[in-house]
Amino acid sequence: MRVIDLALKDLLQIVRDRRSAFFLGVMPILFTFFFGLVFGSSAEGDPRLPVGFVIHDESDALSASSQTLLEASDAIRPVLLEGNDADSAAESVRDGDLAGAVIVPVGFGEQALAGEKPRLTVIVDQNTPAGQTASSAVQAAMTRLLGAVETARLSAEAFEAREGFESEAARRAYLDEALALASEAWLQPPLTVAVEQSGAAAEEGEEISPNVYTQSSPGMIVQFVVFGLNTSAMVLVLERRSRTLQRLLTTPITRTQVIAGHVLAMFLVVFLQQALLVAFGQLAFGVDYMREPLAILLVMVTLALWVASLGLLIGAMSKSEDQVIMWALMAMFVFSALGGAWFPLDVTGKTFAAIGHLMPTAWAMDGFQNIVLRGLGLSSVLLPAGILLAYAVAFFALAVWRFKFE
Amino acid sequence: MKVLDIALKDMLRSFRSGFALVMMFVVPLLITGIIYSAFGGLGGDGGFDLPVTRVQVVNLDQPGPQFSFSLGQMLVGFLQDERLAELLQVTEAADEANARAAVDSQDAGVAVIIPPDFTTAALAPEGRASITLYQDPTLTLGPGIVKGIVSQFVDGFAGTRIASGVVADQLGQRGVAIDASLMQEVAMQYGAWAEALGRSRGEGAHPALDIQPPPSKTEPVSQGAGMMGPIMAGMVIFFAFFTGASTAETIIREDEVGTLARLFTTPTPRAVILGGKFAAGFITLIAQVVVLMLASAVIFRIRWGEPLSVALVALGLVVAAVGFGLFIMSFLKSTRQAGPVMGTVLTLSGMVGGLFTTGIPNLPAAYDTINLLTPHGWVLRGWKLVMAGGGVGDVLLPVLVTLGMGIIFFAVGALVFRRRFA
Repeated sequence: MRVIDLALKDLLQIVRDRRSAFFLGVMPILFTFFFGLVFGSSAEGDPRLPVGFVIHDESDALSASSQTLLEASDAIRPVLLEGNDADSAAESVRDGDLAGAVIVPVGFGEQALAGEKPRLTVIVDQNTPAGQTASSAVQAAMTRLLGAVETARLSAEAFEAREGFESEAARRAYLDEALALASEAWLQPPLTVAVEQSGAAAEEGEEISPNVYTQSSPGMIVQFVVFGLNTSAMVLVLERRSRTLQRLLTTPITRTQVIAGHVLAMFLVVFLQQALLVAFGQLAFGVDYMREPLAILLVMVTLALWVASLGLLIGAMSKSEDQVIMWALMAMFVFSALGGAWFPLDVTGKTFAAIGHLMPTAWAMDGFQNIVLRGLGLSSVLLPAGILLAYAVAFFALAVWRFKFE
Repeated sequence: MKVLDIALKDMLRSFRSGFALVMMFVVPLLITGIIYSAFGGLGGDGGFDLPVTRVQVVNLDQPGPQFSFSLGQMLVGFLQDERLAELLQVTEAADEANARAAVDSQDAGVAVIIPPDFTTAALAPEGRASITLYQDPTLTLGPGIVKGIVSQFVDGFAGTRIASGVVADQLGQRGVAIDASLMQEVAMQYGAWAEALGRSRGEGAHPALDIQPPPSKTEPVSQGAGMMGPIMAGMVIFFAFFTGASTAETIIREDEVGTLARLFTTPTPRAVILGGKFAAGFITLIAQVVVLMLASAVIFRIRWGEPLSVALVALGLVVAAVGFGLFIMSFLKSTRQAGPVMGTVLTLSGMVGGLFTTGIPNLPAAYDTINLLTPHGWVLRGWKLVMAGGGVGDVLLPVLVTLGMGIIFFAVGALVFRRRFA
């Protein structure tokens, strides 16, 4: 009972602090909403990356074909730029308004159909993920375009060898027709690549609809449960500084009970914070946490245990309020960024991804995403939960070792 | 001299505080460092070190007796080519169920399932076939790479079919006899062309595309540096505004502990006290911005741009941050209010100003306009221009706006404080 009394006292102290509501609830919701809004609005309407398309010769037969093939891409959409201004297209790429720009020079089609090797200019910033995506999509579309040109040439050669063209105009008309037929055929090629998402839910026909929040909602939960420690770990520091901890030892309460009471309070705060953010994610952002209630509960409990242990460690290490905020901030930045709460680890380099997966937060993200994105069940979160539990034990042991009552 | 004494006392307090130092210097560099490591810094030469994608491939292709080869087997060989070993780790699965199970259990990122009729469909005049990529939905980059590679292979054969079809259609429409040898010849010629193109692309050069970076007067020294510049600029701006507000918070702190009241009993005019506070913030912020810029130039190899333009944008940032800090604090009564209000206002204004989305490409154009509702957005615009090689003339407008905003915020804040302590 003493442990519960102590935990309730801590909870009351935390809840009475106005900052708690801000750090535990308002900020994570605000950040989740903001990132969802930003990514969501950038994907509004046609979600494909915009690629500028500058044609210097509109009568060029290849211009239309290249635009058709770019339009068929599932990664980019061509934006026809008026005024044929390559410089302003390049500036738009530099400023991030376009993911790339394709400049079709004068006479490109003529030269290509004549068997020469004219070159298209593609302006793209390959240092950015969007630029890399645009670059490979443009290359794929332009390879198909060259294939259509080669097809037209082969077809014209075959006809010339058998019948011969009456005039250059007839030859040109034949080439244009071949080009149009080949371009049209590329819109529905005979061999295709189809993509299927894995996951138990997908197999059962249950719809898992990844949205912009399936990364940001669990990511912000993981980030802000750590940051929320700046309020709950603060209680320990305030008790130490006001010598309340020492006074407690003059009562029949044991040291173990004091530590247990504080850890229980931190656990409850983190768990309730997660419950709030999970409910908000489910209702407001459409992230389906509740498709596997037991699994999500297990992840939440083990994450709360680890974060509470981390809170105890921060409380044990900090001598002042400033130090609590500083350690909570550092822990938040390191654990959330390295653990994949800000961006999926698979888009990072392999060394970073390997280091990132040593973080308990990476396992928490795995647990959440196994449910909301992969559509898996309870068995899929056993390993992440087990690892989080192991981290909780390790951090708790470290915190108890460092803990001082005076 | 009293102005300097007050400023020195405040600065000493700031630079003796571990918390202030961490917030001023460590956190912005730490965040940028983590992002730098994630997207380029650990790959050597600042290049991006792509993760290896584990691929399970199952070849169900059963070419008929009329074929002496299997396109499915060719695709498996193509994926297992040693030139792709840095990108893909390919394992052949016994059957489709095993391949899918490997992805389900996260032992593989993608399963490539080649259908039983792949060769037959690829070579029959009306045949159609589809290769299935079964992928882990949490992955983005790896499956995209696999799709690109498989599509490149598939397009070679699809193109052959399309070429044969177009030749047959056009000749047929004109009543020209079509024989098998002609079709074979077309297929072989197209195949040879596609193979040469694939070889050329495999060597890193596209035979018909000149891929150029967007124009910039200052070339980044590395791939990572080019990407990190705006991200670091966002961090510098955010934490500079944090320092501006923290410095102004000392007025409230001193009011709470009574040292401000004591100061008022001395023959020191209110304007001098406020001037000292402003000077402390100004000098601290200059030190912070200079240190962060120099450190990021050394650590992340960021080129900030032409020195005079950089100095002007930095000046605008410092004045805006000091003025904004004083403005926020002038409406607060206690340091207990300061934490959440500072957090809320600085976070919201940073969000609206675009400081947390500098690394996100292709945001809606309207967002660029919204950014300019805040001083943060104007400073960010100045940094972006200067990093793109802009000169004094280019950055003049954002600098003037940030200076103007900073002065107005400071004047309002000073007025409120003056009335409060009158």
